[in-house]
Parts: sequence; C-alpha cells; structure tokens
Amino acid sequence: MVEFIVNWIAFTPVFAVPLMLASIGLIINERAGVMNLCAEGIMLVGAFAGVVVYIESGNILALGTLGAIAAGLVVSALFAFMVVTMRLNQVVAGIAIVFFASGLTGLIGNPWTERAVEGFTKVDMGVLSTIPVLGKIVFSQDLMVYASVPIVYFVWRFLHRSIPGMKLRAVGENPQAADAAGVSIEFMRFGAVVTGGALVGLAGGYLALAASKIWVEDMTHGRGWIAVALVIFARWRPGRAVLGALLFGGIEALIPRIQAVGLAVPQYLLLMMPYLVTLAVLTYVGLVSRTGSGAPGALGLPYVREDRR
Amino acid sequence: MPSRTLAVGRVSLEVRQGIELWLHGLIVLASIVVGLGVSVLLLVVSGIDVSNIFEEFIVFTFFDSAGLADVLLEWAPLILVGLSAAVAFRVQFWNIGIEGQFVWGAIGTTVVMIYDIGPGWIQIYLMFLGGIIGGMAWIAVPAFLRLRLQVNEIISTLLLNYIAALFVLNQLFGAWQDPAAVYYKTAQFADYQRLPLIGWGQIHVGLFIALAAALIVWLVTERSRFGAYMKFVGSNPGMALASGIPVTLTILVAVMLSGSLSGLGGYLVASGQEYALTIYVAIGYGFSGIVIAFLARNNPAAVVVVSFLMAGLYVGGESIQVFYGLPEALIGLIQSIIVICAVGSEFFVRYRVRWMR
Repeated sequence: MVEFIVNWIAFTPVFAVPLMLASIGLIINERAGVMNLCAEGIMLVGAFAGVVVYIESGNILALGTLGAIAAGLVVSALFAFMVVTMRLNQVVAGIAIVFFASGLTGLIGNPWTERAVEGFTKVDMGVLSTIPVLGKIVFSQDLMVYASVPIVYFVWRFLHRSIPGMKLRAVGENPQAADAAGVSIEFMRFGAVVTGGALVGLAGGYLALAASKIWVEDMTHGRGWIAVALVIFARWRPGRAVLGALLFGGIEALIPRIQAVGLAVPQYLLLMMPYLVTLAVLTYVGLVSRTGSGAPGALGLPYVREDRR
Repeated sequence: MPSRTLAVGRVSLEVRQGIELWLHGLIVLASIVVGLGVSVLLLVVSGIDVSNIFEEFIVFTFFDSAGLADVLLEWAPLILVGLSAAVAFRVQFWNIGIEGQFVWGAIGTTVVMIYDIGPGWIQIYLMFLGGIIGGMAWIAVPAFLRLRLQVNEIISTLLLNYIAALFVLNQLFGAWQDPAAVYYKTAQFADYQRLPLIGWGQIHVGLFIALAAALIVWLVTERSRFGAYMKFVGSNPGMALASGIPVTLTILVAVMLSGSLSGLGGYLVASGQEYALTIYVAIGYGFSGIVIAFLARNNPAAVVVVSFLMAGLYVGGESIQVFYGLPEALIGLIQSIIVICAVGSEFFVRYRVRWMR
C-alpha cells in the first residue's frame, strides 16, 4: 500500500505539469481580458511540433521543447490577431482554432504517428535519489518538473508584483480606465495571448515528450479544456492553479497506477474520472462562490475605444 | 453621434453606424469564398488534382443521382445538429456538447433494441422518444449547472462529450457488444426497428423528420411568442428580466429543445443509417452543428440551406479521403478554415477600414 501511494505521488508531477503550465498560460491570457478557449488546440499543436522537431532533429530534447513553444507562439498569434487586432468573437474564434489545430495535425501528422520517443528522462541526483520515499517523489523527476517551479513563481511575480503585470491586469479589469491611463490595450492583450500561448504550447510539448512519449492524433484528450476549467477553479490566481493542477495530475496519475496493480475497475469508466472530477470541481466552485467568481471584469469582451458596452 | 475610430498601425478603423444589406451579404459571401479558396489550396498541397476537387465536390455530389442521394442522406442529421446549435445560441447558451447529446440520442434509441421494449411495431416510435429523451437528459445537467450555479456551459457541455464517448466505449466493449461483429458495435437493428427507406439510394424517412423539425423550429422562433422571448433574452437578458420575461424558463426550454434536436440526430443515424450503435455514430456532428448555426446566423431557414451544402462537403470530402487515403481530420479542417474566414468577415461588417497616410 505504501509503495502504491509513493509510486502514485511520484507519478503525479508528470501529469500535473502540463495542466499547470497550460493553466498558468491561460491565466496570463485571461488576466488581460482575453477568453482563450483554444488551449486544447494550442496544446495539440505544441505536442505535435514537440514530437516532430524532436524526431527530426535526431532526438534533441531542447529543440523539441523549443519547437513546442514556437508552435504555441504561432497558433496563439493567429488567435491574437483574430480576437485582439480584429476584435472578433472570442468564443467562436477559440473553438474554430481548436478544430483547425485538430484537423491540421491530423492531416499532416501521419508520418510521425505512434513513433515512441524517449523524451524527458528522470534526472539522476545520485545519493539524493536513493533516499527512501522522498528520493522517488522529490529527487527523481525530470528537468521540466523542476523548471516549472521558477516559471510559476516568475509569472506570479510578474502579474502581482510588477508594474507591467499590474498594467496587464488593469487591461483585463477595466480597459477603458487602462486606455485612459495610457496603457496600450492592443499591445498588452496581444503580448498576453502570445506569451500565454507559448506556455500552453510548452505544456502540450511536455505532455507528448514526457507523459505519453508518443504522438497520436487528438492526444490531448480534453486536457486543454480541463486547463480552462482549472483557471476558473483557481479564481485566476497562479498559486491556486498549481494546487488545482496537482489535484488533477494526481487523478490522472491514479489511472495508470490502478491499471498497473490490476484492480478490476472497468477501463473506460476509469478514464472518465478526470472529466467527472472537473465537472464536480466546477459545480463546487458554483456552489461556494457567492461573492463572484474572481474573473477579470472585461473577460471575453473585445475592446473598442468609446464603444458601447 | 460622433464617429468612433481607432488606429491599428497604419490602418484606421471606423465603427460603422449601420451597414447596407447588400454590402453585408457581399462581405460574408467573400469571406466564404476566401475560406473555400484556402481549402482548395490545402487540398492541392496535399497532392490532389484541381480537376478532381471540382469533380468530387460538385459533379459527383450534386449532379449525380447516387451522389445526390448520399448528400440528402447526410443532410438530415446535419439539419438537426444545425438547428440544435442555432436554438441554443439564440439564447446565448453555448452548447458545445452536441456530440454528446447526439451520442445519447443514439443510446436512447439503442436501449429499445437491447432490452426489446414493447411490441415490435411500436419500437421505432419508442426509439424516436428514446432519442429525444437521451439528448435532453444529456443537456439537462449543464443547463441546470448554468442556470442555478453559473457554471460555464462551454466547459461542462464539452466535458460531457468525452464522458458520453467513453460510456459508449464501455458498453461496446462490454455488455452491449455484438459477439458476431468484426468491429465494436451492438447487434444490428431488426427490420421493424429501422426507419423505412423511401426508395432512392439509402435515403430514409428521417429526412422528412428533419425537415419537419426545421419547420417547427422556424415556427417557434419566428412566429411564436416564445420565439420573441428567445430573441429578447438572447440580445439583452438583463432588460428581458426587467421587463418581466421569464428569462430562466425561456433559456431552459430553448436548451432542452436544443438537446432533443441533437438526440433526434442520434436516432436518425442509429435507426436510419448505421442500424446499430457504433463508436463512430456521432463523430464530427458536434462541430458541424456549430459551424452550420454560425454560418446560418442561427436562422432555422438558413440552417436548412447551409446544412445541405455542408452535406455536400461531407460526401465529397469522404470520397476524396477514401480515394487519396487522407485522414478523417480533413472535413473538420476545411470546416474550421471556412469558419475562421466567416468569423473574420465580422470585422469588415463592423468596421470601415481605411489606410492612413
């Protein structure tokens, strides 16, 4: 039993990090007032680009990771152009991009499908890794798990302890006021969407190169949507997003663990768990949030100077 | 009223006070032409001959008896999903879970077959009800969550798609599996559990059901008091509430109607095309519904027209896919390109674009 729990906790970060990076990226987006529903698509393209660049570069992990980030940048720049520059409907644009990403990677992805990759490997910390329990949980993760800690810290620090971050949040809360104060709404929003998109792309790349170690069509399986839900659960705060990601990562990590020990739970019902828990969490948030959801005030509203609201 | 302008680099945007109908139509049409152009380009890049594209999508689909029959067969469920999306979008309920409701419509249909409910002659009607109930049941959860707890319906309906698909897999790899089948599906429906064919290709009476549904939805949205409520609630819920309109009830009824239309689509495909519950019963219908409703601007009459063209895309796309060995993602990709361009047209409808010197 102890071994089961230790294994489970040790496997949690690999599943939690993609959700964590994606939801942190989405928080940057949505704090600037852009409702980003294309996370699923950006993750998918990131995962695809990560695996393709990794394989084609002769298994260079750094290049694969950069490829995922670059793919996230490109797709989110397209989204930003649509919703920030052209001020189009954020819901429809987001959903269309999800299907665009799914269709595009499905169409051109065949040569790279189902080719197992080595991807991220556990960092060997010598003596530290051999410490019972703690060694397995804390000192035997891969590089990205460790890197995600400063990433989250930096994003929190930027959003909540820096002037540009404050301007970004102002743009999401009250673009009229921010505009009057001389903040460029377009610059902030475009920047937020693209920066957040890079993180979401990275999340997808990590998912493919570390968690599943393979590219398969539509492999994100709704994780982008779960990240969108996580942001609501986190009340748009990076710290809470980390907690949420660990919770969901834990649930996802539980599935292969249960299968590994051979418990007789129907496979497909087991796979439903993340979605059911997400629904449950959203319901819980709905039940307890009597004082508002904590959403940025102008979330989802395109900004046109002097436009009627 | 002062004119409102803003600058994007060297481009100045002026918010239009109004737009002539012909210009609006022209912009939308132009955007769809651009979308189709990009799609053709994509197919050419994938190694398909331009003349083949014309033949597959126009000649063999709309000007060929067998092709046209396939288009009409595909038309019926597409009308229903398009209506489903349009009805929900009209009250600002983003039903992205059409695929899940479609699946549950098919499940509701199949349940009648599996448990052999009622005498044989009545089963096709029970399946009809089963489809409606299945679709409604699956949208009831997000409707409740949204209306009582303000849970975002985009995410809840989407999550329920995954849950519905996994439930079908669970049944097809378990209790409902047909041991005789080569791939995973239930046993075939008996003759009396199938929608009767009308004698042209595989077209069945489901087409009339779909067209009747379109007429009913049109009457409800355009000619009834409830339709007027829907319009009011959709355009300004706060004002509607202040005017004493039962906003929650209006949304609830519209959303239930949306779910039942999707469920009916599942019934049509299970009982009229597949004659079984399969893994692929709902694939692609969810996004198609959204695309159709969006292009038709949530207008039931326009849904009928747009879904006919969409059926042509399905049939032409399918034969190109099979012929050239392209993945199934192709149709969704073309749809998304057309939608992205059509969304883009909104920009030119709202703003007058001028170059600044």
